[in-house]
Amino acid sequence: MDENTKSDYAKQMLTYIMKHCLWQFHSRTWDRERQNREILTKTTELLCGLEETAVPEDRLDRCYWVDAVLLARNYRRLFPWLGELDNLEITELMQLVRERLDFQTITGSLNVELTDHQY
Amino acid sequence: MACEVKGRERVGVINPIFTCQPAGAQFMSIGIKDCIGIVHGGQGCVMFVRLIFSQHFKESFELASSSVHEEGAVFGAVKRVEEGIDVMLMRYPHVKVIPIITTCSTEVIGDDVDGLVNKLNEGLLKEKYPGREVHLVPIHAPSFVGSMISGYDSAVKDVVAYFAEKGEPTGKLNVFTGWVNPGDVTALKHLLAEMEIEANVLFEIESFDSPLMPEGQHVSHGETTVEDLKETGRAAASIALNRYEGGKAAKFLEKTFNIPATIGPTPIGIRNTDTFLQTLKTITGKPIPASLVKERGIAIDALTDLTHMFFAEKKVAIYGNPDLVIALAQFCIDLEMKPMLLLLGDDNSSYATDPRILELQANVDWDMEIVTNADFWEMEDRIKNKGLELDLILGHSKGRFTAIDNKIPMVRVGFPTYDRAGMFRHPVVGYAGAIWLAEQMANALFTDMEYKGEREWSLNVW
Amino acid sequence: MPYHEFEVSKCIPERKKHAVVKGPGETLTEALPAGYLNTIPGSVSERGCAYCGAKHVIGQPMKDVIHLSHGPVGCTYDTWQTKRYLSDNDNFQLKYTFASDMKEKHVVFGAEKMLKQNILEAFKAFPDIKRMSIYQTCASALIGDDINAVAQEVMEEMPEVDIFVCNSPGFRGPSQSGGHHTICIAWMKDKVGTVEPEITSDYVINYVGEYNIQGDQEVMQDFFKRMGIQILSTFTGNGSYDDLRGMHRAHLNVLECARSSEYLCNELRVKYGIPRLDIDGFGFGPLSDSLRKVGLFFGIEERAEEIIAEETARWKPELDWYRERLMGKKVCLWPGGSKLWHWAKVIQEEMGVKVVSVYTKFGHQGDMEKGIARADEDTLAIDDPNELETLEAMYKLKPDVIFTGKRPGEYAKKIRVPYLNAHGYHNGPYKGYEGWVRFARDIYNAIYSPVHQLALVDISKDEIATDKSFTTRRMLSDARLPEGVRNAPGLRQYTGKFDVMPGLRNKTKADYPYMQDKPTKLADAA
Repeated sequence: MDENTKSDYAKQMLTYIMKHCLWQFHSRTWDRERQNREILTKTTELLCGLEETAVPEDRLDRCYWVDAVLLARNYRRLFPWLGELDNLEITELMQLVRERLDFQTITGSLNVELTDHQY
Repeated sequence: MACEVKGRERVGVINPIFTCQPAGAQFMSIGIKDCIGIVHGGQGCVMFVRLIFSQHFKESFELASSSVHEEGAVFGAVKRVEEGIDVMLMRYPHVKVIPIITTCSTEVIGDDVDGLVNKLNEGLLKEKYPGREVHLVPIHAPSFVGSMISGYDSAVKDVVAYFAEKGEPTGKLNVFTGWVNPGDVTALKHLLAEMEIEANVLFEIESFDSPLMPEGQHVSHGETTVEDLKETGRAAASIALNRYEGGKAAKFLEKTFNIPATIGPTPIGIRNTDTFLQTLKTITGKPIPASLVKERGIAIDALTDLTHMFFAEKKVAIYGNPDLVIALAQFCIDLEMKPMLLLLGDDNSSYATDPRILELQANVDWDMEIVTNADFWEMEDRIKNKGLELDLILGHSKGRFTAIDNKIPMVRVGFPTYDRAGMFRHPVVGYAGAIWLAEQMANALFTDMEYKGEREWSLNVW
Repeated sequence: MPYHEFEVSKCIPERKKHAVVKGPGETLTEALPAGYLNTIPGSVSERGCAYCGAKHVIGQPMKDVIHLSHGPVGCTYDTWQTKRYLSDNDNFQLKYTFASDMKEKHVVFGAEKMLKQNILEAFKAFPDIKRMSIYQTCASALIGDDINAVAQEVMEEMPEVDIFVCNSPGFRGPSQSGGHHTICIAWMKDKVGTVEPEITSDYVINYVGEYNIQGDQEVMQDFFKRMGIQILSTFTGNGSYDDLRGMHRAHLNVLECARSSEYLCNELRVKYGIPRLDIDGFGFGPLSDSLRKVGLFFGIEERAEEIIAEETARWKPELDWYRERLMGKKVCLWPGGSKLWHWAKVIQEEMGVKVVSVYTKFGHQGDMEKGIARADEDTLAIDDPNELETLEAMYKLKPDVIFTGKRPGEYAKKIRVPYLNAHGYHNGPYKGYEGWVRFARDIYNAIYSPVHQLALVDISKDEIATDKSFTTRRMLSDARLPEGVRNAPGLRQYTGKFDVMPGLRNKTKADYPYMQDKPTKLADAA
């Protein structure tokens, strides 16, 4: 997978998140950091072969996991090229998605409320 | 067995009959052409009033807010009005009249809008809008005084006091209609035209019933102009149909411009319309024409088909604007009905000496109650817990659940009447209004008979 | 630069940062409208006040409560019956509202004593109701009445009642949104955790940010019950005061309207470790995924799949019938806060209606992020819109229909744009599968109304067509459809009833085989 392809794949995956998901839009930077990290990490694991039966015990964990399960399923449904990537490539690809998502929703976000200390 | 007057004994309100003063001031404001009022207070004070107007008329009306936020509430918010007026004048080039309507918040914090008007007249208007005709009219309307009724009454007086000018007499009659509907204004203008009386009708709100046109954009607003308002000071006489809605303005013109004022009657029903025409004749010298005799005849003919057969003994409760309520009660009595309960929704101390109420107390021979400072619970509690039986309710749409839950037929009158289609298009005044009211009441009773299976067969051959 | 300047707002240049046109390939990092700033006075904004946000939107849907406003009557009158939140106790909270009736003397001398009398009178008039919420107004805030102290005094004298106090006067914040915040934080601080709820299932949620507009909550509740999930409390549509005091025992907070109540979910997460799951209850796809997520969370996903399969089979043929006829129609999606992002994408995807503009009356930048992310390119996004700007936008964009409030809908009507009520709906509820079809049907009926066509004719100038005595909606909608689509087998118009509620409310225990009666216990801490 060359850099251009990787970038294009990441764009498709990020666009899906932005069009269909809400979990990346909590109202503070620390919540967004945690949401992005946990959900995308779990999505990567699922795409790399982790079984859906491995349900986290802790309910906070489980909440990220359900968003990750649906994301992984939708990715598999919509992006047939995923099936042709190996786990290393998937991990790198998801890393790029995470970087871009963090930029769009946290570091590059123009939402001035994100840094308010109180809810 | 008589008519008693009592005040609400409870301290609190359960289901209010009226909203507060700023709504009345805003209702006056939308009746003027090229006028957009700015309500000085929280945004809710104007947003909700625009909503209730749009529910009643199924139209949108232009009103602005000074948008007082927390800082303004703490430190004073007069600057917000100043900014608001500037913004409105820039963006609405046709606007000539801006009533500045205060609310409870800005009255409590003591914002000096009168002083602001002076400042703007000398400053902003001269500097930024030289040569442009702009009238800033301060109107004090705190919500903890009176109600939407007194708010309207005061606002009408304020705007007349601002504009009325001395000069060449016009020979016209100022007609302060009170808080009525477009259909009422049409009916009143018809009667005045038949009597060949030139009138300055305040306010010209027939245009509230505005059309959906194939092109362009039609904004709903009244047609009373600055000229009309100025002319009030040059009229031959004033008549305020509703004592509590326009009486203040008429009395002001009498005191300041020596224009004789007549207060009342509210021309609802045959007798009150007769009196109205008689009053017009007395004021203007114009005769009552044959055409109106015929119109009256048509109304009487319509009523006669209904009164002793269907209306007699029917017990009715009436609530809403005070002049409307009293006049409806008078009409219902002439129709052989029995008003059992009248609810006047605010604490106006004048009710105690209102000659019409005294007249009811003197002559009614059944148990009738008039409750002042009333809320809807006064009616509902009597129905649910104190054995009050009613055949009909006359009032506005906010009381609909009492009628619905207790299965009492209700005819929507007054303001607001949003849960029925097109009520604002029809009059309750004049002979036309008498017919309309009577037939609405009859049809409501008939529908109820059919749903309850009570003598519905009698209509087979009525 | 995608910031959008309105002709009518050139004289107030600060407006420019409040509107954005989403450009091709542009992301949220390049432009985002400002949000939740002070309103420009005199702009004829759509916004309301913080009292409205607190009492009218969030407080008053609670069904078993006396809602008493401490102030003059206007605030109470204005917020009485003016929103369509139903309840299954015969709409008590719609029918009865309470005002302390502050008068001039109270402004001068204070009204705490009078307030106490009010509280006692209200409880006496309705002896079966033991809960009360008291709302501060501008007037009572400015005179400094200590409502909390009065409430406390009454609760001590009457131990069977509980009173919640919400201090959110109209001026507290730039819009309704300030009120949402105040009441969420107050409820969290004062009431959550003060009742130990009865737990009747292994799967327990709070349903947050759902106000039962035309029955939405009851539609969703039906799905959750069919999955065997206990809705411990709904904040606040069709919601019960004491249930909401037990929110701390849920396993999961399912959040719909983040704008009004994410504050509460965030606080519940921090204090009680309850996770927050944001869902969309609108649209077949988003709703199905939402049910799946909740099902997955509890390990009962197959129950969600049962419902999704059944509902989709029943209602998709009807949704698709309207979709074929709504393709390419344009809408201005102009609601208050959340629907701009709940509906922005799915309206196009599932009904074919193109969203050409979104706006928010009182939303924050977060709502714009969600809405613009989901919207198409060239969408015009406006924050804190005012009347002249929206007219300019409608003239420019020429939408076929507009989803907005009742009053702005009236002036849209005047320029011949049919409207649907985005706040209270037309013929809803709109949540759920059947609800989504009802929405599509309303859009269809609005756009293809023969009267709407007649409104476009100027009889003094235009050629008057005399070949027809009437027009059906299908004659209008199907005119350009290919034959195969026009009579596509399997597609049909809406076949549901006029009123959806009796069907839901008449269901019995037998309809919910997964719901059990469990002995009262505290929810597991984990």
